[in-house]
Amino acid sequence: MTAQAASPATAIEFAGFRITYRGAITLGVVYGLLLIAVTVILFPVFWMASSSLKPAPELFARNQTMLPVNWTLENYRNVWTGTDFPTYFWNSFKVAALSTFFSVVISMYAAYAIARIRFAGRYAFSLLMLVTQMFPHILLVIPLFLIIQRLGLFNTHTALVIAYTAFSLPFTIWMLRGFFEAIPMELEEAAAIDGASLLMTFHRIILPLAGPGIAAVTMFGFIRGWNEFLFALVFLQDRELFTLPIGLASFQEEYTFRWDLLMAGAGIITLPVLFFFLLMQRFIVQGLLGGAVKG
Amino acid sequence: MFLQQRARFAYVLILPALVLITLLNLYPIIEGFVVSLQAQNQMRPNPEAFVGFKHYVRALTEQDAFWSSLGRTLVWTAGSVAGAYLLALGLALLLNMDVWGRGFFRALFLIPWVIPDVCTALLWKWLYGDEFGVINFLLVKFGLITRPVLWLSNPDIAMPAVIFVQIWKLYPVMFIVLLAALQNVPKELFESATIDGATMRQRFWYVTLPFIRSASVIITLLACIWTFQSFDIVYLLTGGGPASATKILPTLVYEKAFWGLEMGYAAALAMLMLLGLLVFSVAYLLVYRSQSEASA
Repeated sequence: MTAQAASPATAIEFAGFRITYRGAITLGVVYGLLLIAVTVILFPVFWMASSSLKPAPELFARNQTMLPVNWTLENYRNVWTGTDFPTYFWNSFKVAALSTFFSVVISMYAAYAIARIRFAGRYAFSLLMLVTQMFPHILLVIPLFLIIQRLGLFNTHTALVIAYTAFSLPFTIWMLRGFFEAIPMELEEAAAIDGASLLMTFHRIILPLAGPGIAAVTMFGFIRGWNEFLFALVFLQDRELFTLPIGLASFQEEYTFRWDLLMAGAGIITLPVLFFFLLMQRFIVQGLLGGAVKG
Repeated sequence: MFLQQRARFAYVLILPALVLITLLNLYPIIEGFVVSLQAQNQMRPNPEAFVGFKHYVRALTEQDAFWSSLGRTLVWTAGSVAGAYLLALGLALLLNMDVWGRGFFRALFLIPWVIPDVCTALLWKWLYGDEFGVINFLLVKFGLITRPVLWLSNPDIAMPAVIFVQIWKLYPVMFIVLLAALQNVPKELFESATIDGATMRQRFWYVTLPFIRSASVIITLLACIWTFQSFDIVYLLTGGGPASATKILPTLVYEKAFWGLEMGYAAALAMLMLLGLLVFSVAYLLVYRSQSEASA
């Protein structure tokens, strides 16, 4: 006797579907487990949001409440007006946006070349993209620190923009290649017969079709630049040049135990990233799976 | 002729990427090796004096530096990757059932992945807090413990505590890959196994597992590569403490290079770390290549 062959007596009607009792129990268990998993896994994020919206005394109360008793945006206002946070925010935006722009433009053409053109060294180039993704940043940061000092780029955003561009290239190229390869070849062949050049075909036919891919890669590059910690920590010295991650980390020393400010700060950094991620998650997931995966 | 022109054009297209990657990814490895053979002690004159393999000898013979740190790094890597894999597999199996709202749950389970490292570390520091941390508060409230646990300042507990955070950070990518692999398992195969009387465990072992084995191997190796070299979380949560309990290799390298100002020694440590990573990387490339051949 199999589950599918259940007799009518063991089945119930639910929203127009016939479900066996056994199926209903399974479904209940599955949703129960899912709900528990979501609650436990997202609790830290919930707690960050909740803490950032509580007045400071509530954070250090003997009896903690899950939701704020008196909701307030005071912490956000304090961080934004009472500290250097707006400067960090602007710095991060600048560095992340510039490096994303360069890496997307550069990787677009490189990815197209390896997706569509047969040339000697294509395999080696692809392999290079795969291998360089594995180099530990903690190893690269020591020689790069010495190099940028020699070049007089220490304590500049230029150094960060160049570094972020270069470090996201292997992955963005890999990811975009996946998107380009998914576009049917026939379209380009037709354009080539009509006499369009390679670049023209790329700009007029491939790029518009690869919109979601470009968007995903842009998002990905931006998130990486926005979140990056180690290189900013090593390359920058002056507070007015700090990006958000090292700005917030330095708060930790300056405002120890000011968890009201720290959680609001963390909220400000997380919010834009979370928003864009939820908006674009389908394409980002698609790109991740096509791109040999990079976390 | 036409093909040759196209090929030549390809080099133009990849040139900027090639130059940047060579200058910022490849050249620094060479420079790093050179630095590891130099004195490079910022406290003393003449940093570029050649010292041969002195730093390597020091690293490999010194007590309580490289070897103990390597040991901790292996615990950190194995613990995080194993934990993340099990969690990811569990969630992927759940979502692979015909549940309504799969896309919604999938998006929710991915959220920890996008939270910036700095926020993750700070947030968990707050959760783990001795006095006002909510984890201690809840555990005391439900009577599971009587006094707060010093999650990050007790040397015996700090490592599991940071591993827990890394699991939270790491599992989403593994989950996505495993879920995608699971969705390739043909439904008919599963059904016919059921009809043939296979138990749930047998179905998982003989039907599901073979289909997700290669994805599992690849994503596990990648996760090892990332975790082995990851710096942010541990540095921000404990700084390698308490009493060096969480001083993994990346933290040690950073400490020597930028606090101790012993760049040469730190570079040597980092090169040794790269050797360790090479094991995982070569395994990954071999598996990856055999896969692409199999699918081609």
